[in-house]
Amino acid sequence: MTDTSDAAAKRARRLLRCYPHVWRARYGDEFTQLLIDDMSERPRSMRRTADVIRTGLLARAASAGLAGDALEPQQQIRCGLAAVGCALIAFLAFGVAIWSQLTIGWQWSAPAAPATKTAMLVMSAVILVFVVLALLAAIPLAWTLFRTCVRGRVGGPFAPMTSVVLGAALLVVGSIHFGHGWPGTGGHPWAGRDIVPGPVARFCWAATLWITSYWAHPGALASFPTSEITWMVVSPIALLAVLVGAANTLRRLSFSHRVLRYESWLGTAAALAMAGFLAGASCWIISGSPAPHGLFRVGAIDLVALVVMAVALILAFRAAQRALAASLIRSATR
Amino acid sequence: MARTEAPQTDESTKSEALSTLGRYAGPATLILSSLADGTKHGYALTKDIEAFADVRIAPGTLYEALARLERQGLIEPVESHDRRRPYRLTADGALALRVHLNSQRRVADVGLRRLASSTGTP
Repeated sequence: MTDTSDAAAKRARRLLRCYPHVWRARYGDEFTQLLIDDMSERPRSMRRTADVIRTGLLARAASAGLAGDALEPQQQIRCGLAAVGCALIAFLAFGVAIWSQLTIGWQWSAPAAPATKTAMLVMSAVILVFVVLALLAAIPLAWTLFRTCVRGRVGGPFAPMTSVVLGAALLVVGSIHFGHGWPGTGGHPWAGRDIVPGPVARFCWAATLWITSYWAHPGALASFPTSEITWMVVSPIALLAVLVGAANTLRRLSFSHRVLRYESWLGTAAALAMAGFLAGASCWIISGSPAPHGLFRVGAIDLVALVVMAVALILAFRAAQRALAASLIRSATR
Repeated sequence: MARTEAPQTDESTKSEALSTLGRYAGPATLILSSLADGTKHGYALTKDIEAFADVRIAPGTLYEALARLERQGLIEPVESHDRRRPYRLTADGALALRVHLNSQRRVADVGLRRLASSTGTP
């Protein structure tokens, strides 16, 4: 092989990474060869690179159940629900970060602006809805996991389940520990007058401490205690471990169509709840009126969070809609 | 009666196979037309389509269409010891292409006839 064809093969393999694993397993070799042949004729082509990136992203969206018709209905439902779950976790991480910041402000002084008060009430109510939905979703999943474990059918579930347990334990213990530094009490003896119970607000604040604009200000961040900075690095990793472990555990389980249809309805409900939460958060951010003492002030990180939540909402809606449509089609054809 | 109706139902189903491709119908028609005279691998398809239609299909778009056509059962891969895997038209693919091209020809004929009668040029 010449240096030129070596370089072409290397570039082709790099471009191939735009596609998901399943697609690469089926078409990888022949597509790489086509790219090498094309490069031998036209060594540099922006159009080719853009085309590969575009179609690669589309193939990834299709494999996640967000686009196209490449998946079987059963697979479409599972992938769609997994996409809803991931979008929901990203949404909640940023949403809870905003919400718990606002609870600090309220602990010091109730917001004067009606928009902020409404936003807090809406967001708090929606968080309750999320808790109910999570419990409703978890019951059949936990039951299926329990039954499968009892029958000894799950293939190697211990590694992913260990990841979930360890990650969750670290998150809970760390959040309780670092929650003691919660600025919400402010030294006031009348702490607890917030609409949200102090321990809940403090736990959520500590769990989402890593969502902060301090990352863009390393000088200010360096003045934080080392243990707190370590927690800000470790806590998102622990959250990721829980997510990956849960996804891998669920992937090894086989669910009945009824359970999948039920989860699809819950996914749609969760997407609607996300829309409600985002409306509440937007209400506060758009009004942007700081209360006395600069409490409830909108910062850059809140705008970033709003964008992340909007993107997550769009993805969750699309995935939930497609999962529900697939489950209804499957019901109709049974 | 049933014997004469059966092929029409089949034809309309195959016609739908191409029409449901939406924005992929263009590359799909070109690929099926190229495969109509024999098996071809990706690069051979690109060159053949460029020669007869003056259109260069980019690699990503080509494989996006090939994957869809394969899923629909209109083409199938041929066993190959090379990394350049050839594809061939299936019987369904040939029927879908015929139906689609006939309908395109009807549209083209009407358009040309109306142009000729309004401008007076053949």
